[in-house]
Amino acid sequence: MLARALLGVRRERTYYLPWIVRPGLECTLLLSNVEARFKEGFTRGPCPATVIQYDARGRTVGRYDVSLRDPTDAVEVGLGDTPGHGFAAVVSDRIDSDLYVTLSDGTSYTATHGRHEFVEHYPPWTAAVLAATTALLALAGRTLPAFARDQYVYVGPDSRSHVLVMNLSNVTNRVRVVLASADGAARRLLVRLPPRGTHLLDVARLADPVSVTRACRLRLEGNAWFNLYLVGAGARDLDGPLSLMHVK
Amino acid sequence: MSSKLSGLLSATFAEPAYDHLVELVHQRDATAHRRLTSVRMSAHDAKGREVLALEVDPAREIFDLGAALGARSEPRVMVLFDARYDAAIFPYRPHHYAYLHARGAADAPLYYAVNATLGGVPDRIGATNINNIETYVFRPRAFAERYSVMLGNVSRFATAQAQVIAYYGTERVGHQVEVPPKAHAETPLAADLEGVRLSRVETKAPFRLASYVVGRRAESRQLVLFDHLFTYAK
Repeated sequence: MLARALLGVRRERTYYLPWIVRPGLECTLLLSNVEARFKEGFTRGPCPATVIQYDARGRTVGRYDVSLRDPTDAVEVGLGDTPGHGFAAVVSDRIDSDLYVTLSDGTSYTATHGRHEFVEHYPPWTAAVLAATTALLALAGRTLPAFARDQYVYVGPDSRSHVLVMNLSNVTNRVRVVLASADGAARRLLVRLPPRGTHLLDVARLADPVSVTRACRLRLEGNAWFNLYLVGAGARDLDGPLSLMHVK
Repeated sequence: MSSKLSGLLSATFAEPAYDHLVELVHQRDATAHRRLTSVRMSAHDAKGREVLALEVDPAREIFDLGAALGARSEPRVMVLFDARYDAAIFPYRPHHYAYLHARGAADAPLYYAVNATLGGVPDRIGATNINNIETYVFRPRAFAERYSVMLGNVSRFATAQAQVIAYYGTERVGHQVEVPPKAHAETPLAADLEGVRLSRVETKAPFRLASYVVGRRAESRQLVLFDHLFTYAK
């Protein structure tokens, strides 16, 4: 907290959800405010909300204004049919419930929920220093490890995890990825994410082929705040049905 | 070993022919912190009878539940993980996760949070008040899916009279579910009621049960949704 204050970093409360659109795979958000049923004074509608959709490069590619009639109402927000991925921020003063993101092949859907966290805003001078420092470190395949996440990922003959890494800041985020295999070998990768950008990490490309499904240890370090969702893929990999899952 | 061990009883359900890998700990920082002090796994059939019990090596990070269950005849078992651990292993809450995929299926694997069913130290769960009223919202359009709720009673002595309430617009359909100790049940939810789609489900129980909302492909019956419900009345 002291470091953030010295650097002038501001944290803006943000509810966000990941999104992925592929050919034959639609992504739809499901917004509701059902929690308000249990809160005195908050049970009346309408409840307006705005969804801002960012693509992998951090550009705003969609903006959707919706309104929930009452706490039992649920509204779907389709995130278009242009293949891509990113995250969507939901702006509302009144919504307290967990919101869902769903992926569907038209016959069924998988679902998970978003996270109420924050997006970091760096002032220009801090951003400039950070950019210069991390550019130098990148020459050696390194980053400034201000934040780190550990996550098990899975690789199997007919299923695997991908990881959607989301840069939840207004600066370029260089994320160093280390995948440790069962034999102890480590594969490394440095990913550059633009402000509010995302990267879909193909774990199977870092791991050796396997005959049975197994877990690998993944560690990610970034120079600014980031988070991740697991993306589950079956036998057809990214061309087939997918699932998304939040992690704590 | 710490003299102040925490405890966690967590629960999931397992069906045959799935790869099912359960993370026993939350992967984080130093290797020394990843180790549980002890963990016992047990599996129970629908009537609560223990059909398998194992003392699991606490140094394991991943437990291959699919392999442990092998080719059992039960269509569904409730699996309990009774763990003792140093609180440093779980920095946020006693969350742990699992990977689930129907062998050979084209469907996407699911990754889910294993239910923390108390049984240990409620002050570390983050839900010290009422946590036995839960909600889940469904998409309003029709899919070729079958929905249900799985409930399991992890208690040792008390039978639970639970309610599963499905909402269709302004109408509601209630199901009474009785689950004796260690027993479990899957309650199907009709996808529509006189043309009105299933919009949400609530579960109510006298105490915390293992609870998952389930979606299956209509044709193959394979899982496409296996998720926790949300506790809002707390």
